[in-house]
Amino acid sequence: MEQKPIIQVKNLKKSFFLPHQRHDSLVEFLSNPLRLFKPAGEQFTVLKDIDLDIHQGEFVGIMGRNGSGKSTLLKIMAGIYTPTSGSVKVTGKMVPFLELGVGFNPELTGRENIYLNGIILGMPKDFLKKKYQEIVEFSELEKFMDMPLKNYSSGMQVRLAFSIAIMADADIYILDEVLAVGDLAFQKKCFDVFRNYKEQRKTLVLVTHSPASVREFCDRAVFLKDGVLQIDGSVDEVVKAYEVG
Amino acid sequence: MSNYLELLKEFIKTDFQLRYKNSYLGLIWIVLKPLALFGVIYTVFSNIMAMDDDYMMSLLLGIMFITFFSEGVMMGLGSLMAKSGIILKIKFPREIVVFSSVTIGFIDFLINMIVFAVFTLFTPVVITLPSLLLFLVAIFSFYFLIMGMSLFLSVMFIKLRDLHNLMQVVLQLFFWATPIYYKLEMLPEKMQGIILLNPLTKILIAVRHGLITGGDVGLKDFISLAPITLVCILILFLGILFFRNKVTKIAEYF
Repeated sequence: MEQKPIIQVKNLKKSFFLPHQRHDSLVEFLSNPLRLFKPAGEQFTVLKDIDLDIHQGEFVGIMGRNGSGKSTLLKIMAGIYTPTSGSVKVTGKMVPFLELGVGFNPELTGRENIYLNGIILGMPKDFLKKKYQEIVEFSELEKFMDMPLKNYSSGMQVRLAFSIAIMADADIYILDEVLAVGDLAFQKKCFDVFRNYKEQRKTLVLVTHSPASVREFCDRAVFLKDGVLQIDGSVDEVVKAYEVG
Repeated sequence: MSNYLELLKEFIKTDFQLRYKNSYLGLIWIVLKPLALFGVIYTVFSNIMAMDDDYMMSLLLGIMFITFFSEGVMMGLGSLMAKSGIILKIKFPREIVVFSSVTIGFIDFLINMIVFAVFTLFTPVVITLPSLLLFLVAIFSFYFLIMGMSLFLSVMFIKLRDLHNLMQVVLQLFFWATPIYYKLEMLPEKMQGIILLNPLTKILIAVRHGLITGGDVGLKDFISLAPITLVCILILFLGILFFRNKVTKIAEYF
Protein backbone atom coordinates (compact mmCIF):
# COMPACT_ATOMS: atom_id res chain seq x y z
CA MET A 1 0.00 0.00 0.00
CA GLU A 2 1.33 3.41 -0.93
CA GLN A 3 1.53 5.69 2.07
CA LYS A 4 1.09 9.43 1.89
CA PRO A 5 4.45 11.19 2.02
CA ILE A 6 5.32 12.94 5.26
CA ILE A 7 7.26 15.60 3.38
CA GLN A 8 5.97 16.57 -0.02
CA VAL A 9 7.98 18.98 -2.13
CA LYS A 10 6.22 19.95 -5.32
CA ASN A 11 7.57 22.05 -8.16
CA LEU A 12 9.63 24.00 -5.71
CA LYS A 13 11.46 27.02 -6.98
CA LYS A 14 13.44 29.44 -4.90
CA SER A 15 15.20 32.52 -6.09
CA PHE A 16 16.92 35.21 -4.12
CA PHE A 17 17.21 38.79 -5.08
CA LEU A 18 20.82 39.84 -5.27
CA PRO A 19 21.20 43.59 -5.38
CA HIS A 20 24.14 44.80 -7.41
CA GLN A 21 24.94 47.21 -4.69
CA ARG A 22 23.41 47.37 -1.26
CA HIS A 23 21.19 50.39 -0.76
CA ASP A 24 21.00 50.62 2.93
CA SER A 25 22.20 54.05 3.76
CA LEU A 26 20.01 57.07 4.06
CA VAL A 27 21.90 59.26 1.58
CA GLU A 28 21.46 56.68 -1.14
CA PHE A 29 17.83 56.28 -0.19
CA LEU A 30 17.22 60.02 -0.34
CA SER A 31 19.12 60.42 -3.59
CA ASN A 32 16.55 58.18 -5.21
CA PRO A 33 13.80 57.02 -2.87
CA LEU A 34 12.14 54.87 -5.50
CA ARG A 35 15.19 52.65 -5.64
CA LEU A 36 14.27 51.25 -2.26
CA PHE A 37 11.29 49.66 -3.89
CA LYS A 38 12.97 48.81 -7.16
CA PRO A 39 16.67 48.45 -6.53
CA ALA A 40 19.00 47.34 -9.28
CA GLY A 41 19.89 43.70 -9.08
CA GLU A 42 19.09 40.29 -10.40
CA GLN A 43 17.18 37.21 -9.41
CA PHE A 44 19.40 34.31 -8.59
CA THR A 45 17.66 30.98 -8.78
CA VAL A 46 18.92 28.60 -6.14
CA LEU A 47 16.41 25.78 -6.55
CA LYS A 48 14.67 24.82 -9.77
CA ASP A 49 11.59 22.61 -10.03
CA ILE A 50 12.33 20.35 -7.13
CA ASP A 51 9.99 17.41 -6.64
CA LEU A 52 10.66 15.20 -3.69
CA ASP A 53 8.50 12.87 -1.62
CA ILE A 54 9.77 11.56 1.68
CA HIS A 55 7.85 8.89 3.54
CA GLN A 56 7.68 8.08 7.19
CA GLY A 57 10.59 6.03 8.44
CA GLU A 58 12.88 7.00 5.60
CA PHE A 59 16.39 8.30 6.13
CA VAL A 60 17.19 10.46 3.16
CA GLY A 61 20.62 11.89 2.44
CA ILE A 62 21.03 15.03 0.40
CA MET A 63 24.38 15.47 -1.30
CA GLY A 64 25.84 18.03 -3.64
CA ARG A 65 28.67 20.50 -3.91
CA ASN A 66 28.78 23.78 -2.01
CA GLY A 67 26.20 26.19 -3.33
CA SER A 68 24.07 23.50 -4.94
CA GLY A 69 21.06 24.49 -2.83
CA LYS A 70 21.07 21.80 -0.14
CA SER A 71 20.83 24.11 2.82
CA THR A 72 18.27 26.31 1.13
CA LEU A 73 16.11 23.26 0.56
CA LEU A 74 16.37 22.35 4.24
CA LYS A 75 15.55 25.89 5.31
CA ILE A 76 12.43 25.88 3.18
CA MET A 77 11.41 22.54 4.68
CA ALA A 78 11.98 24.05 8.13
CA GLY A 79 9.78 27.03 7.25
CA ILE A 80 12.53 29.64 7.53
CA TYR A 81 12.49 30.63 3.88
CA THR A 82 9.32 30.81 1.85
CA PRO A 83 9.20 29.19 -1.60
CA THR A 84 9.21 31.53 -4.60
CA SER A 85 6.78 29.13 -6.25
CA GLY A 86 5.66 25.60 -5.68
CA SER A 87 4.97 24.12 -2.30
CA VAL A 88 6.40 22.17 0.58
CA LYS A 89 4.00 20.22 2.74
CA VAL A 90 5.14 18.72 6.00
CA THR A 91 2.89 16.44 8.03
CA GLY A 92 3.91 15.87 11.61
CA LYS A 93 6.18 17.52 14.10
CA MET A 94 9.53 18.58 12.77
CA VAL A 95 12.64 19.66 14.63
CA PRO A 96 15.32 21.29 12.53
CA PHE A 97 18.96 20.92 13.55
CA LEU A 98 20.32 23.38 11.03
CA GLU A 99 22.90 24.28 13.58
CA LEU A 100 23.62 22.93 17.02
CA GLY A 101 23.18 25.17 20.02
CA VAL A 102 20.92 27.79 18.47
CA GLY A 103 20.70 30.75 20.82
CA PHE A 104 23.55 29.54 23.02
CA ASN A 105 24.96 32.42 24.96
CA PRO A 106 28.60 32.35 26.11
CA GLU A 107 27.83 34.37 29.22
CA LEU A 108 25.21 31.97 30.54
CA THR A 109 26.03 28.80 32.42
CA GLY A 110 25.65 25.35 30.92
CA ARG A 111 22.48 24.86 32.93
CA GLU A 112 20.92 28.13 31.76
CA ASN A 113 21.85 27.35 28.18
CA ILE A 114 20.14 23.98 28.37
CA TYR A 115 16.86 25.69 29.19
CA LEU A 116 17.33 28.52 26.70
CA ASN A 117 18.27 26.27 23.80
CA GLY A 118 15.68 23.64 24.71
CA ILE A 119 12.86 26.15 24.78
CA ILE A 120 14.02 27.64 21.47
CA LEU A 121 13.87 24.13 20.02
CA GLY A 122 10.25 23.94 21.15
CA MET A 123 10.55 21.86 24.29
CA PRO A 124 8.36 22.88 27.24
CA LYS A 125 10.19 23.95 30.37
CA ASP A 126 8.64 21.25 32.55
CA PHE A 127 9.76 18.65 30.06
CA LEU A 128 13.31 20.05 30.18
CA LYS A 129 13.31 19.93 33.95
CA LYS A 130 12.44 16.26 33.81
CA LYS A 131 15.05 15.55 31.16
CA TYR A 132 17.72 17.76 32.66
CA GLN A 133 19.63 14.93 34.34
CA GLU A 134 19.47 12.84 31.21
CA ILE A 135 20.84 15.68 29.09
CA VAL A 136 23.71 16.30 31.47
CA GLU A 137 24.58 12.62 31.69
CA PHE A 138 24.56 12.19 27.96
CA SER A 139 26.84 15.18 27.50
CA GLU A 140 29.21 13.89 30.22
CA LEU A 141 29.58 17.46 31.46
CA GLU A 142 28.22 17.08 35.01
CA LYS A 143 31.05 19.07 36.52
CA PHE A 144 30.68 22.06 34.24
CA MET A 145 26.98 22.86 34.51
CA ASP A 146 27.43 25.98 36.64
CA MET A 147 30.27 27.34 34.56
CA PRO A 148 29.67 29.94 31.85
CA LEU A 149 29.64 28.47 28.39
CA LYS A 150 32.52 30.69 27.29
CA ASN A 151 34.83 28.56 29.45
CA TYR A 152 33.84 25.39 27.61
CA SER A 153 35.99 24.04 24.83
CA SER A 154 34.26 24.03 21.46
CA GLY A 155 34.00 20.25 21.63
CA MET A 156 32.23 20.51 24.97
CA GLN A 157 29.85 23.10 23.60
CA VAL A 158 28.72 20.93 20.70
CA ARG A 159 28.42 17.95 23.00
CA LEU A 160 26.07 19.90 25.23
CA ALA A 161 24.16 21.19 22.22
CA PHE A 162 23.81 17.73 20.76
CA SER A 163 22.61 16.30 24.06
CA ILE A 164 19.83 18.89 24.24
CA ALA A 165 18.83 18.52 20.61
CA ILE A 166 18.26 14.78 20.80
CA MET A 167 15.72 15.24 23.59
CA ALA A 168 13.38 16.94 21.16
CA ASP A 169 10.62 14.51 20.40
CA ALA A 170 9.60 14.82 16.79
CA ASP A 171 8.48 12.76 13.83
CA ILE A 172 10.90 14.40 11.44
CA TYR A 173 14.45 15.55 12.03
CA ILE A 174 16.29 17.76 9.62
CA LEU A 175 20.05 17.77 9.96
CA ASP A 176 22.53 20.05 8.30
CA GLU A 177 25.96 18.50 8.84
CA VAL A 178 25.34 17.78 12.49
CA LEU A 179 25.36 14.02 12.46
CA ALA A 180 28.12 13.28 14.93
CA VAL A 181 30.13 15.58 17.12
CA GLY A 182 32.84 15.41 19.73
CA ASP A 183 35.54 12.80 20.12
CA LEU A 184 35.36 9.26 18.84
CA ALA A 185 33.61 7.89 21.91
CA PHE A 186 30.98 10.60 21.80
CA GLN A 187 30.47 10.18 18.07
CA LYS A 188 29.66 6.55 18.72
CA LYS A 189 26.92 7.64 21.11
CA CYS A 190 25.56 10.05 18.50
CA PHE A 191 25.35 7.27 15.94
CA ASP A 192 23.53 5.09 18.46
CA VAL A 193 20.93 7.82 18.84
CA PHE A 194 20.25 7.82 15.12
CA ARG A 195 20.07 4.04 14.98
CA ASN A 196 17.50 4.32 17.71
CA TYR A 197 15.52 6.85 15.67
CA LYS A 198 15.53 4.40 12.82
CA GLU A 199 14.09 1.66 14.96
CA GLN A 200 11.35 4.03 16.07
CA ARG A 201 10.53 4.73 12.42
CA LYS A 202 11.35 8.41 12.68
CA THR A 203 12.02 10.30 9.49
CA LEU A 204 15.35 11.95 8.92
CA VAL A 205 16.63 14.27 6.23
CA LEU A 206 20.36 14.69 6.27
CA VAL A 207 22.62 17.05 4.39
CA THR A 208 26.17 15.85 4.47
CA HIS A 209 29.44 15.71 2.61
CA SER A 210 30.39 12.40 4.11
CA PRO A 211 29.73 9.40 1.83
CA ALA A 212 30.40 7.14 4.80
CA SER A 213 27.50 8.53 6.86
CA VAL A 214 25.14 8.37 3.92
CA ARG A 215 26.15 4.75 3.28
CA GLU A 216 25.75 3.93 6.95
CA PHE A 217 22.38 5.52 7.61
CA CYS A 218 20.42 6.42 4.52
CA ASP A 219 18.06 4.21 2.61
CA ARG A 220 17.85 6.69 -0.13
CA ALA A 221 19.70 9.73 -1.35
CA VAL A 222 19.25 12.65 -3.67
CA PHE A 223 21.87 14.58 -5.55
CA LEU A 224 21.58 18.29 -6.15
CA LYS A 225 23.58 20.13 -8.76
CA ASP A 226 23.16 23.86 -9.41
CA GLY A 227 19.73 23.83 -7.85
CA VAL A 228 18.46 20.91 -9.90
CA LEU A 229 17.59 17.60 -8.36
CA GLN A 230 19.59 15.37 -10.67
CA ILE A 231 19.33 12.02 -9.00
CA ASP A 232 16.71 10.64 -6.66
CA GLY A 233 17.64 7.08 -6.05
CA SER A 234 19.97 4.69 -4.34
CA VAL A 235 22.76 5.71 -2.02
CA ASP A 236 25.37 4.15 -4.29
CA GLU A 237 24.24 6.11 -7.30
CA VAL A 238 24.31 9.41 -5.44
CA VAL A 239 27.64 8.85 -3.73
CA LYS A 240 29.15 7.97 -7.10
CA ALA A 241 27.78 11.16 -8.64
CA TYR A 242 29.02 13.20 -5.69
CA GLU A 243 32.51 11.74 -5.98
CA VAL A 244 32.63 12.56 -9.68
CA GLY A 245 31.48 16.11 -8.85
CA MET B 1 0.92 28.31 21.87
CA SER B 2 1.97 27.83 25.49
CA ASN B 3 5.45 27.03 24.27
CA TYR B 4 5.65 30.40 22.55
CA LEU B 5 4.70 32.01 25.84
CA GLU B 6 7.58 30.15 27.45
CA LEU B 7 9.87 31.29 24.68
CA LEU B 8 8.80 34.89 25.30
CA LYS B 9 9.48 34.48 29.02
CA GLU B 10 12.86 32.88 28.35
CA PHE B 11 13.91 35.69 25.99
CA ILE B 12 12.85 38.31 28.52
CA LYS B 13 14.65 36.53 31.34
CA THR B 14 17.94 35.94 29.58
CA ASP B 15 18.12 39.30 27.83
CA PHE B 16 17.30 41.04 31.07
CA GLN B 17 20.10 39.18 32.84
CA LEU B 18 22.60 39.61 30.07
CA ARG B 19 22.30 43.32 29.52
CA TYR B 20 24.53 44.40 32.34
CA LYS B 21 26.52 41.20 32.69
CA ASN B 22 30.18 41.84 33.44
CA SER B 23 29.53 45.36 34.70
CA TYR B 24 30.19 46.02 38.37
CA LEU B 25 26.93 47.77 39.14
CA GLY B 26 24.89 45.40 37.02
CA LEU B 27 21.16 45.93 37.16
CA ILE B 28 21.60 49.01 39.35
CA TRP B 29 22.26 50.87 36.10
CA ILE B 30 18.56 50.57 35.33
CA VAL B 31 17.78 53.08 38.06
CA LEU B 32 21.12 54.86 38.07
CA LYS B 33 20.87 56.20 34.53
CA PRO B 34 17.56 58.06 34.96
CA LEU B 35 18.56 59.20 38.43
CA ALA B 36 21.81 60.66 37.16
CA LEU B 37 20.00 62.52 34.41
CA PHE B 38 17.53 63.75 37.00
CA GLY B 39 20.39 64.94 39.20
CA VAL B 40 21.98 66.90 36.38
CA ILE B 41 18.81 68.60 35.20
CA TYR B 42 17.63 69.27 38.72
CA THR B 43 20.92 70.88 39.69
CA VAL B 44 20.99 73.08 36.62
CA PHE B 45 17.39 74.21 36.77
CA SER B 46 17.09 74.69 40.51
CA ASN B 47 19.83 77.27 40.14
CA ILE B 48 18.04 79.07 37.34
CA MET B 49 14.56 79.29 38.77
CA ALA B 50 12.50 78.68 41.86
CA MET B 51 11.19 75.15 42.18
CA ASP B 52 8.50 73.53 44.22
CA ASP B 53 8.21 69.89 45.27
CA ASP B 54 5.73 69.19 42.49
CA TYR B 55 8.26 70.29 39.92
CA MET B 56 10.87 67.99 41.34
CA MET B 57 8.57 64.99 41.26
CA SER B 58 7.30 65.94 37.78
CA LEU B 59 10.85 66.08 36.53
CA LEU B 60 11.72 62.72 38.06
CA LEU B 61 8.64 61.04 36.66
CA GLY B 62 9.14 62.73 33.29
CA ILE B 63 12.68 61.42 33.01
CA MET B 64 11.62 57.89 33.90
CA PHE B 65 8.85 58.20 31.33
CA ILE B 66 11.08 59.35 28.49
CA THR B 67 13.72 56.78 29.40
CA PHE B 68 11.11 54.07 28.91
CA PHE B 69 10.34 55.55 25.51
CA SER B 70 13.89 55.87 24.23
CA GLU B 71 15.18 52.59 25.63
CA GLY B 72 12.04 50.72 24.57
CA VAL B 73 12.14 52.07 21.03
CA MET B 74 15.87 51.47 20.61
CA MET B 75 15.71 47.93 21.98
CA GLY B 76 12.64 47.22 19.85
CA LEU B 77 14.36 48.58 16.76
CA GLY B 78 17.36 46.31 17.17
CA SER B 79 15.40 43.28 18.36
CA LEU B 80 15.07 41.36 15.09
CA MET B 81 18.66 42.04 14.18
CA ALA B 82 19.90 40.94 17.59
CA LYS B 83 18.13 37.61 17.23
CA SER B 84 19.05 37.01 13.60
CA GLY B 85 21.09 33.95 14.54
CA ILE B 86 18.03 32.25 15.95
CA ILE B 87 15.64 33.53 13.31
CA LEU B 88 17.80 31.99 10.58
CA LYS B 89 17.65 28.56 12.19
CA ILE B 90 14.30 28.08 13.88
CA LYS B 91 10.75 28.86 12.93
CA PHE B 92 8.71 30.67 15.56
CA PRO B 93 6.47 33.75 15.58
CA ARG B 94 8.95 36.58 15.06
CA GLU B 95 6.80 39.04 17.03
CA ILE B 96 8.12 37.37 20.16
CA VAL B 97 11.53 39.02 19.86
CA VAL B 98 9.99 42.49 19.55
CA PHE B 99 7.56 41.85 22.40
CA SER B 100 10.34 40.66 24.66
CA SER B 101 12.62 43.65 23.96
CA VAL B 102 9.92 46.24 24.53
CA THR B 103 8.73 44.41 27.62
CA ILE B 104 12.23 44.61 29.07
CA GLY B 105 11.94 48.39 28.67
CA PHE B 106 8.61 48.20 30.48
CA ILE B 107 10.09 46.17 33.32
CA ASP B 108 12.86 48.77 33.64
CA PHE B 109 10.18 51.43 33.92
CA LEU B 110 8.37 49.48 36.64
CA ILE B 111 11.64 49.14 38.56
CA ASN B 112 12.08 52.89 38.26
CA MET B 113 8.59 53.29 39.65
CA ILE B 114 9.87 51.72 42.86
CA VAL B 115 12.49 54.46 43.07
CA PHE B 116 9.74 56.98 42.44
CA ALA B 117 7.73 55.44 45.28
CA VAL B 118 10.72 55.87 47.58
CA PHE B 119 10.87 59.57 46.65
CA THR B 120 7.21 59.99 47.53
CA LEU B 121 8.04 59.03 51.12
CA PHE B 122 9.86 62.35 51.43
CA THR B 123 7.87 64.50 49.05
CA PRO B 124 4.11 64.32 49.31
CA VAL B 125 2.08 63.36 46.26
CA VAL B 126 -1.63 62.81 45.89
CA ILE B 127 -2.72 59.46 44.49
CA THR B 128 -6.32 58.32 44.51
CA LEU B 129 -7.98 55.27 43.08
CA PRO B 130 -9.26 57.07 39.94
CA SER B 131 -5.88 58.73 39.47
CA LEU B 132 -4.11 55.39 39.67
CA LEU B 133 -6.49 54.09 37.04
CA LEU B 134 -5.70 57.10 34.84
CA PHE B 135 -1.99 56.33 35.24
CA LEU B 136 -2.51 52.70 34.25
CA VAL B 137 -4.52 53.60 31.16
CA ALA B 138 -1.88 56.13 30.15
CA ILE B 139 1.11 53.88 30.73
CA PHE B 140 -0.42 50.93 28.88
CA SER B 141 -1.30 53.19 25.96
CA PHE B 142 2.34 54.23 26.00
CA TYR B 143 3.46 50.59 26.06
CA PHE B 144 1.26 49.87 23.03
CA LEU B 145 2.64 52.90 21.22
CA ILE B 146 6.24 51.82 21.81
CA MET B 147 5.38 48.28 20.77
CA GLY B 148 3.64 49.48 17.59
CA MET B 149 6.57 51.71 16.64
CA SER B 150 9.03 48.91 17.34
CA LEU B 151 7.16 46.51 15.09
CA PHE B 152 7.60 48.96 12.22
CA LEU B 153 11.15 49.96 13.05
CA SER B 154 12.54 46.47 13.67
CA VAL B 155 11.58 45.32 10.18
CA MET B 156 12.69 48.53 8.46
CA PHE B 157 15.99 48.47 10.29
CA ILE B 158 16.98 45.23 8.54
CA LYS B 159 16.92 47.01 5.20
CA LEU B 160 17.80 50.52 6.28
CA ARG B 161 20.65 50.43 8.74
CA ASP B 162 20.74 54.21 9.15
CA LEU B 163 17.57 53.96 11.14
CA HIS B 164 19.60 53.37 14.28
CA ASN B 165 21.34 56.73 14.04
CA LEU B 166 18.28 58.49 12.71
CA MET B 167 16.18 57.32 15.64
CA GLN B 168 18.72 58.56 18.14
CA VAL B 169 18.25 62.04 16.70
CA VAL B 170 14.47 61.64 16.62
CA LEU B 171 14.49 60.53 20.25
CA GLN B 172 16.46 63.65 21.18
CA LEU B 173 13.77 65.64 19.44
CA PHE B 174 11.09 63.88 21.46
CA PHE B 175 13.02 64.59 24.63
CA TRP B 176 12.93 68.33 24.00
CA ALA B 177 9.44 68.38 22.50
CA THR B 178 7.90 66.78 25.57
CA PRO B 179 7.45 68.88 28.71
CA ILE B 180 9.87 66.94 30.87
CA TYR B 181 12.11 69.57 32.42
CA TYR B 182 9.81 72.50 31.70
CA LYS B 183 6.16 73.09 32.38
CA LEU B 184 3.80 73.43 29.48
CA GLU B 185 2.42 76.66 30.96
CA MET B 186 5.86 78.28 30.81
CA LEU B 187 5.73 78.32 27.01
CA PRO B 188 4.11 80.95 24.80
CA GLU B 189 0.66 79.89 23.71
CA LYS B 190 1.64 79.16 20.11
CA MET B 191 4.44 76.91 21.28
CA GLN B 192 2.08 75.08 23.64
CA GLY B 193 -0.12 74.15 20.70
CA ILE B 194 2.83 72.59 18.91
CA ILE B 195 4.04 70.67 21.95
CA LEU B 196 0.52 69.36 22.51
CA LEU B 197 0.57 67.82 19.03
CA ASN B 198 3.17 65.43 20.35
CA PRO B 199 1.20 62.44 21.65
CA LEU B 200 3.83 61.91 24.34
CA THR B 201 2.85 65.23 25.89
CA LYS B 202 -0.71 64.18 26.59
CA ILE B 203 0.32 60.78 27.85
CA LEU B 204 2.87 62.35 30.18
CA ILE B 205 0.30 64.86 31.45
CA ALA B 206 -2.00 61.96 32.32
CA VAL B 207 0.84 60.00 33.93
CA ARG B 208 1.76 62.98 36.13
CA HIS B 209 -1.83 63.75 36.91
CA GLY B 210 -2.22 60.14 37.97
CA LEU B 211 0.81 59.85 40.23
CA ILE B 212 1.51 63.37 41.52
CA THR B 213 -1.53 65.61 41.51
CA GLY B 214 -4.25 62.99 41.56
CA GLY B 215 -6.70 64.87 43.77
CA ASP B 216 -9.04 66.05 41.06
CA VAL B 217 -8.90 63.23 38.52
CA GLY B 218 -12.31 62.81 36.97
CA LEU B 219 -14.09 61.56 33.91
CA LYS B 220 -12.86 64.52 31.85
CA ASP B 221 -9.27 63.35 32.19
CA PHE B 222 -10.14 59.94 30.81
CA ILE B 223 -12.10 61.53 27.98
CA SER B 224 -9.23 63.76 27.02
CA LEU B 225 -6.85 60.79 27.07
CA ALA B 226 -9.18 58.51 25.10
CA PRO B 227 -8.25 59.73 21.58
CA ILE B 228 -4.54 59.24 22.35
CA THR B 229 -5.20 55.75 23.69
CA LEU B 230 -7.08 54.93 20.51
CA VAL B 231 -4.22 56.24 18.38
CA CYS B 232 -1.77 54.09 20.33
CA ILE B 233 -3.90 50.99 19.85
CA LEU B 234 -4.26 51.82 16.17
CA ILE B 235 -0.49 52.16 15.76
CA LEU B 236 -0.01 48.82 17.51
CA PHE B 237 -2.59 47.23 15.24
CA LEU B 238 -1.02 48.67 12.09
CA GLY B 239 2.38 47.66 13.39
CA ILE B 240 1.24 44.05 13.75
CA LEU B 241 -0.21 44.05 10.23
CA PHE B 242 2.93 45.58 8.74
CA PHE B 243 5.15 43.22 10.68
CA ARG B 244 3.21 40.08 9.74
CA ASN B 245 3.22 41.13 6.13
CA LYS B 246 6.93 41.86 5.89
CA VAL B 247 8.50 39.45 8.32
CA THR B 248 8.02 36.23 6.34
CA LYS B 249 10.86 37.24 4.06
CA ILE B 250 13.04 38.76 6.70
CA ALA B 251 15.39 35.79 7.00
CA GLU B 252 16.59 36.47 3.46
CA TYR B 253 17.72 39.99 4.21
CA PHE B 254 20.00 39.59 7.20
